Formats: sequence, structure tokens, C-alpha cells
Amino acid sequence: MSSPITTWEGASAVFTFADSPMGIAISLAAAVGIYLYLNLSIMKHEKDSFDKHK
Amino acid sequence: MSVETLQSTFEMHQSMNVEVFYWWCTAIMFMIHAGFLAYEIGASRVKNALTSGMKNILTLSVIIPTFYFFGWWIYNAFPNGLIPTDASAALPWSLSMGPDVKDMGTGIFFAAFALFGATTGSILSGAVIERIRLSAFLILAAVLGSAVWILAGAWGWHPDGWMLKDLGYHDVGASGVVHAVAGFFALGVLMNLGARVGKFKDGVAMYIPPHNLPMSLIGLMMIIVGFFGFLGGCIIFNGGDTGWTTIYGNPTNLSAFAFNTLMGFAGGVLGAYMTSREPFWTMSGGLGGIISVAAGLDLYYPGLAFVLAASGGALMPMIGRLVDKLGVDDAVGAIAVHAFCGVYGVVLVGVFCAGYPNVGDLPPISLSGQLTAAVIMALTGFIPGWGISFVMKKMNALRVPPEVEVLGLDLVEIPAKPYPETVPAYAVVENTLQPGQEKQLV
Repeated sequence: MSSPITTWEGASAVFTFADSPMGIAISLAAAVGIYLYLNLSIMKHEKDSFDKHK
Repeated sequence: MSVETLQSTFEMHQSMNVEVFYWWCTAIMFMIHAGFLAYEIGASRVKNALTSGMKNILTLSVIIPTFYFFGWWIYNAFPNGLIPTDASAALPWSLSMGPDVKDMGTGIFFAAFALFGATTGSILSGAVIERIRLSAFLILAAVLGSAVWILAGAWGWHPDGWMLKDLGYHDVGASGVVHAVAGFFALGVLMNLGARVGKFKDGVAMYIPPHNLPMSLIGLMMIIVGFFGFLGGCIIFNGGDTGWTTIYGNPTNLSAFAFNTLMGFAGGVLGAYMTSREPFWTMSGGLGGIISVAAGLDLYYPGLAFVLAASGGALMPMIGRLVDKLGVDDAVGAIAVHAFCGVYGVVLVGVFCAGYPNVGDLPPISLSGQLTAAVIMALTGFIPGWGISFVMKKMNALRVPPEVEVLGLDLVEIPAKPYPETVPAYAVVENTLQPGQEKQLV
């Protein structure tokens, strides 16, 4: 269950995993991972493309 | 209905109005990026058109998440200088950094600031077209858009920023914290990146024409439209009976911004036209004019704003030619438009608004304070831009190989053609090849 609430009465932070540090950590780590992978994948794409046209 | 209920209803609607205002400012700021997209594609040669476009699209998509990861925290943690204060609510794992039915402020301000950051990335993007590696650019853009400018913002564009407290710094429309910082960051990068092949012959700058000048002009006009979102996002919509204030807490309103944004645009265009007669500079003059008066949008008499913007617009093409003479290849005039006009705007406030009070016990606006701040903004942009790009250059990670630059980045990196049935980009490149190079084209 990703919901941090069981009722809207008195609700505040309502986003998924708001009551689960592990859920937030995994989501955030995945987001950072995508960003880092993007950089690596562009570097690889550049190397392959440049090598092909040497 | 009781008075309490009426008050509660009124306050809820006031909070919703704040959200609505910044929501649309953010949306309009996307027009800046649509404009930069058209501007840079048009300014590139056919062989690099799509690469320039891809670079611009990815700029936004890299700065937004990195600003979420650490940019918003930097803004909240560093108003005192380089020692962070507690800003745990701005960390990405904080409960404030996500949907909260009782928080009608954090997300909308995060969004506006993220888009300000993306603007700095786009300023850098134009200057370095046609020879920078995409990988290097995106790292530099993230550093600039999610760390460097927002550090300057924490110092000089924050109610508790040390530059406001110690210098009486006044920069309501971000001439310094966005434009000067980004422009000088770009200058630092350009010094290490070097000029495009063919730009300088025997030390003399050659004109490398944009492949689609009309597209660039339309792009510039779209940036102007986006500026209304940007400048709207620079004003604070307060709750209660305070009304509009600047980010420094002094009263102002959108009417003040409207007078001087329009007069700044017009003055900049006319000034640039008078000293260049050239469409690219003339249209850029609209940007340069607004940037020249942005720091004092809340204070200038509109006639003065027009004159100051005209002077900024008139000087801007001259600065562009000076940059050329110094051997720096700034493909879109970003140094002249953003670095020069940004610093110029900060200094002009010191010249014409010295003596205006700040709120409370804060020091008044002064020429010495603005001059000091202008130097700080320039160095805050230049030092990391030069330093990081220098390391990248030493690692051979900054610039594309020369043979790739000659072939064109689109052919090498992009699995698409910009104008497959109208302008034969492939043939244009083919005509520039040395004997034997044709086989490399697949």
C-alpha cells in the first residue's frame, strides 16, 4: 500500500509513500539513477557515433 | 454566514489566487524555452540544426529534476553565504516536497524557480552551439541551472540574503542573479571551448550566417512573451492585506512592472537597431533592453527606463563585436545580451536609484553596493563556468572531434534529418567533404 492516509479528514502530505521513508528513498534513488544513466548513455552514444565517423 | 466562515473562505481563495498566479507564470515561462528552441535551431547551420534543438529540449529536462534534487535546497540553505543553514524542508525527501493538501506555496514556488534555472541553462545553450559535446553541456547546464545561479539567488534574491542585508542589493527582475551569472558562466565555458571551425581567419572574425534567421527572430519574440511569465514570477503575491511586494519586501505591483517592461523592450529594440541595423541584434535588443532595466523595474520612471534600455540595446551589438575581436566565438550574442546587459542593469540601479530605502533596518540602495554586487554576480558565474569547463577540456570531454564538427553534428549524432524534402542538408554537407570522406556518410 502506497497511500499514507486512510481518510481525507485532517490529511496533509498525501503523496505516495509519504509515511514510508523507504518508499521515498527508493523512488528518489531511481529518479537520480535515471538522471545519472542519461549522462552515461549520452557519453556512450557520443563515443560510438564519433568512432563511427573517424 | 459567520464572520469566521467568511474570513476562512476569503483566505482560502486568496491562497488559491497565489497558486493560480504562479501556475500561469510558470506556464508562460515555458514560452522562453520554446523561443530558445526556435532561436538556436535557426541560428545553427543546417548541418547542426537538430542537435541544437535536442540540446535545448534536454536542457529543460535535466535542470528540472536536478533543481528538485538539490537546487531548491541550495536556495533555502545558503542566504548567509557559503555555510548552509537548516533548510531540511527543502530537501527532496521532505514531506514539503510533494503533494500536500495544506501547503499551497512550496510546489508553486519550486516550479517558478526551476523555470528560472532552466532559463540560465538556455542562455548557456545558445552560446556554445555547433561544437560542444551534448554530454558536457548537460552537466554544465545542471551545474549552472540547479546550483550556481540559485546560490547567487540565495545571496541576492532572497528576503534574508546577505547581499540584501549587507549591501542593500536591489535586483527585482534578476538582471544580476539570472542574466549576469548565466552570461559570465557562458563566457568562462566559451574561453575553454574555443571557436567553431572557420569562425576566425588570421585572427579576424568571420560571419557564420544562421541557416534560418526568420526562425531565430520568431524565437526571440517568443522569449519576450515568456519574459512576462518570468518577470511576473519575480514579484511576490502576499496573503493578508499586504498585496504585492518585491522579493525584498518593499511594496510594488504589476502595474509598475508593466510600465517598465514595455518601455524596456521598446527602448532596447530601437537602441540596438540604431547601432546595428541588423535584424538579429535588433530583435535581441528587446531582450537586452528588458534585462538592462529589470533590476529596477519597480522604481524607474518609464521615460528613464526607455532611455536606459535604449542605451543598453545600443551598446549591446558593440559588446558583441568586442567579444568577436577578443577571439571568443559566442554564436548567439549571449555575452552581450545577458552578461553585459545583466551587469549593466545592476549598476544602473546603483546610479539612478541610490538612496531608495529598503524595508526595516536594511541598508538603502547604493552605487557602491550595486557595483560590488555586479562584480560578485560576474565572478559567481565566471569562476565555476571556466573551472569546470577547463577540467572537461583537459579530459578531452568538452568538445566534439574536429572531423565531426566539419561533417555536422546532425549526421553523426541524430537519427533524423531536419528538412528531408526541402533543404538537402545531406547534400550541403556532402559539398564540404574532402575526397574520400563520402564513404563515412551512412
